[in-house]
Amino acid sequence: MPLLASAIRLTVPILLAALGGVFSERGGVVNIALEGMMITGTFFGALGAYQHGPLAGALYATLGGAGLALIHAVVTVTFGVDQIIAGVALNLLAAGVTRFLTIQIFGVATQSPGVSGFVPFNIPGLDRVQALAPLVTGISPLVPVTLLLVLLGQWVLRRTAFGLRLRAVGENPRASETLGINVYRMRYTGVLLSGALAGLAGAYLVLEQAHSYLEGMTQGLGFIALAAVIFGNWWPAGALGAAVLFGFFEAVSLRVVASTIPYQVIQSLPYVVTILVLAGFVRRATPPAADGIPYRRGGEE
Amino acid sequence: MRSRGRLLLLQAAAPIVAVFAGGVIASAIILAIHENPLSVFGLMATFNMQAGSVASILTSATPLIFAGVATAIGFQVNVFNIGIEGQYYIGAFAASLAAFGLRGFPAPIHLVLIITAAMLGGLLWVWLPAFLRRRRGAHEVITTIMMNYIAFNVVLYLLGLVRDRNLGSTVRIRTPLFPPSAQMPHLAPLLNALGAPIPGYSPLNWFLVIALALAIVVWFWLRRSRFGYEARATALNPLAAEAAGIVVGRVQFVMFLVSGAVAGCVGLSDLLGRAGYFDIDFPKGLGFLGISVALLARNDPLGVIPAALLFGYLNRGAEGIQAFTNVPREVITILEALIIMAIVVAYEIMTRYVRVLRKQEVA
Amino acid sequence: MTGSLGTTSAPPIIELREITKRFPGVLANDRISVTVRAGEIHALVGENGAGKTTLMSILYGLYQPDGGQVLWRGRPVGIRSSSAALELGIGMVHQHFMLIPPFTVLENVILGAEPVRAGVVALAQARARVARLAELHGFDLELDARVGRLSVGEQQRVEILKALYRGAQLLILDEPTAVLVPQEIRELFRNLRRLRDQGRTLVFISHKLDEVMEIADRITVLRQGRVIDTVETSSATPSMLAEMMVGRPVLLQVPRPPALPGAGRLDVRGLSVEGERGRPRIHDVSFNVRAGEVYAIAGVQGNGQAELVEAIVGLRRAATGRVLLDGRDVIPLSVAERRAAGLAHIPEDRHRRGLVLAMSTRENLILGHHRRRAFSHGLLRDERAVDRFAAERCREYDVRVPRLGTPALALSGGNQQRLVIAREFAFTPGLLIAAQPTRGLDVGATEFVYRRLLEIKAQGLAVLLVSVDLDEVLALADRIAVLYNGRIAREFRRGEADAATLGLYMTGGGPPTGQAAP
Repeated sequence: MPLLASAIRLTVPILLAALGGVFSERGGVVNIALEGMMITGTFFGALGAYQHGPLAGALYATLGGAGLALIHAVVTVTFGVDQIIAGVALNLLAAGVTRFLTIQIFGVATQSPGVSGFVPFNIPGLDRVQALAPLVTGISPLVPVTLLLVLLGQWVLRRTAFGLRLRAVGENPRASETLGINVYRMRYTGVLLSGALAGLAGAYLVLEQAHSYLEGMTQGLGFIALAAVIFGNWWPAGALGAAVLFGFFEAVSLRVVASTIPYQVIQSLPYVVTILVLAGFVRRATPPAADGIPYRRGGEE
Repeated sequence: MRSRGRLLLLQAAAPIVAVFAGGVIASAIILAIHENPLSVFGLMATFNMQAGSVASILTSATPLIFAGVATAIGFQVNVFNIGIEGQYYIGAFAASLAAFGLRGFPAPIHLVLIITAAMLGGLLWVWLPAFLRRRRGAHEVITTIMMNYIAFNVVLYLLGLVRDRNLGSTVRIRTPLFPPSAQMPHLAPLLNALGAPIPGYSPLNWFLVIALALAIVVWFWLRRSRFGYEARATALNPLAAEAAGIVVGRVQFVMFLVSGAVAGCVGLSDLLGRAGYFDIDFPKGLGFLGISVALLARNDPLGVIPAALLFGYLNRGAEGIQAFTNVPREVITILEALIIMAIVVAYEIMTRYVRVLRKQEVA
Repeated sequence: MTGSLGTTSAPPIIELREITKRFPGVLANDRISVTVRAGEIHALVGENGAGKTTLMSILYGLYQPDGGQVLWRGRPVGIRSSSAALELGIGMVHQHFMLIPPFTVLENVILGAEPVRAGVVALAQARARVARLAELHGFDLELDARVGRLSVGEQQRVEILKALYRGAQLLILDEPTAVLVPQEIRELFRNLRRLRDQGRTLVFISHKLDEVMEIADRITVLRQGRVIDTVETSSATPSMLAEMMVGRPVLLQVPRPPALPGAGRLDVRGLSVEGERGRPRIHDVSFNVRAGEVYAIAGVQGNGQAELVEAIVGLRRAATGRVLLDGRDVIPLSVAERRAAGLAHIPEDRHRRGLVLAMSTRENLILGHHRRRAFSHGLLRDERAVDRFAAERCREYDVRVPRLGTPALALSGGNQQRLVIAREFAFTPGLLIAAQPTRGLDVGATEFVYRRLLEIKAQGLAVLLVSVDLDEVLALADRIAVLYNGRIAREFRRGEADAATLGLYMTGGGPPTGQAAP
């Protein structure tokens, strides 16, 4: 039970960022700056929570992530710069900006003062059962919110006009444009959503796990999220499955100190699995056809 | 013909414009915290003129040249090796094994063996992504990123196995110390003899010379060898290369491997010239800086040298700013990232402009 | 100048008046005037580069004209974008389908114009509407099937349905038969007639005269950006149309040495080649080229020439058949090995395939020769040998460059082609494949290319010329094969056929002969 509870806690940030990644890549923009956006989210989450409480923390983090995403969108969508390169630069930028702001605002480079998170809740009725206690008590409200966002995301992509158009743009932007769809606007939306969600993932780390901002606290979770996007075959529901699996790996790796399997092996599993998927050993990975390809409006090359 | 002149001018101007644009934004940030950007940059300039600073700039440029060349080799042929990071980690660890594991060799031989081990480590780590790209079409960007994280975990695990037990119960986890034969000689004595006032404590070592030589050799190899010719043709027009009988996929595969082998050497200057052991605090992030350096150099191996020096300059300047002003050194990190953003946008606009020119010329 | 209008003519749905469109260096549309009547199938025919697609792209809002006027139902309109065209009621079926393969038929049809209820796509409503529309037009389509899994013919129906769903009254079809097999073409024609009978107007772009004669009510012939005439199909004959399409003064005459055919050099036997997405593009083609002759493959672009050449030089796999070079089957060989066996290739698109534009002239001159011993000095390149070679080649082939280090992109089109020729003629190949060797060149450069081709022929080389330019074919070839729909429609000896006859075969006309045995 404690293992499961810990797995859920570790799943949430991966899942939020992965959901963001799904939106960005469905629109055709590869976002390897999820990590950077998450880092931005951790700082702004701490800032908001420090100043106005956890809700402001979540909001600030969302906006902070989206702010970084806006740069990504301008550079990759408007200017058509290679999305990988822009992502690498953004990750560097995020690290620098975050440290800089931490020093300016909190006086030290590497951490913020402690902040309080959301008030956890218990599941009424079930919280009496001793055996279930770790699972049904002290739950962060962000857990159900995340789950809701994923279901909403899946539904939006599948059933709404926006989702249909976003996916169309990621598959064949030229065709989408001939049908009167504004490719740039769709791609901007997808990228901004990814930043907002990755930012929120950062806020979760601050508000619900560490209760303060710590430099480097994302520990590459953004890249695990990227892996979850791929393993989840670019669907929110798939990302949910992948994130739960990866969260479980993480939870296990934290607990196997005594066992014979080195925890590093388990921590590497998400990455190994992703490589296997990409190589087609697990099943075919089918990214959106125009994923990663800059698009020029109106037939310019 | 006139447009060609304009083009060359543009090509030369792009990095300068990018550095300038980054500087302007960084200045705005400095102004925002109520400091004077001119005095900050002025201080950086004077600080960097000191002998100790020059040595420090050269020292921090050394691994960046390796990383920049490694990146450039891949990018040259459209192979996005984002895995320099993991490759040099594995390379450095392999080098450590060779450094403390092999005993009784004279220094030159020992050093050659260590460098070979580092390259083999990098090669080992790049082989899988390269193979999967060639045979299974797996995109190297994601696979190399994943390999980075696997590398950190693997090294961490292996480090636990070979750690120096003599340290007893201290929390430091590191390899045994390297023997003297595994220390790269420092440059300070030689440079002092030549009249350069490099402080004696500077860890600046012969890897700088090796890095410079490597950049030149790679440049020469790409210009003058048959394979280099094929690589350049592949990079500049894969379709024409194919029609001329060049097997594009094979060229990319080989360049991918070479990139990894070079990447394996990124950490050596720190490892053998400064630390003398490998521990869990071994510097990370050099691979990503190498990508920046290569971008700034437009993937030209020779251009990597000034680009790495610029980054070394900025890094040293950051220390000066930190020490003598109220401006945090992170301003410089931001400046570096901004320069990269500006340079890629500038190159993109330039490429588009070239295309327009070309169309006009065709007409 | 539009053709005579019958007394029973319906009102025009669209009128193009004096439309002019310039691209850098090309006058794509030169004061074109065409009137399309409501409820007719109007064919637009012309050779490659006659300006058909440009004209229709203007009509569909993809390009803006530099001059002239578009009248929609008598009213002047400016069509700024494809959505504006759709709003007017103009739909287009592109030659390369604008579909989203992983989407279902239904999703593809409604994309961008989804019926929405509270932000959600009203799928049931959409399905009912699309199903009704499909039924009305007799389109047999499974609405929930993924478009990527459909046949090309079915995908085309989805494209048409898309336009109809958006209320298109005028439907432009850009070479709709180019990608179809005969049964699919019959089905398409049935559907098009039904659409016309229901009151829609169709513009049918094609260069296949047999099809045009079958489907169109009226035909407008374009040539070199101008309208030649608009005629009623009932009063037209294929040969008359072919003459209008290709008939132009011969630009260039070069003294031609007689063919002294020697031994067979290239022997293509039963070659079949697949194009993109596994579509068969070349069907069981056989021919041979002998030393000392120019053998031409004539045909309108897109009839399989590119695939044929790529299969011979080794850039594309052959599905079946053999390619013998001097009696040796080269199918298992790589491009490099074929080149080493004496095959030289002037690619169709010199910028894409022929040159590395950013490289210097001298480096471009050794492209493909770069592994030769002559240029090697150990592992390195022998720069002096390269310089000598480059200087000698430039002199002999009159490649005008300020320096040998000048990048190829700084050269004029004619000089670039001289460069390619200088390179491919080097080291005495046995067979030269020249694909569209004078495309985009001026008269002087063209003449140079002709002279050189005839010169090496006289020296005993075998030349396989692939060209869409009939004048070129007639000026150079000793034997001519007409490629149509991936098959050799007929083979002629020199002097056997004139431009009009060739034009007829190129556009699918002429007596239905089997493949002429060489």
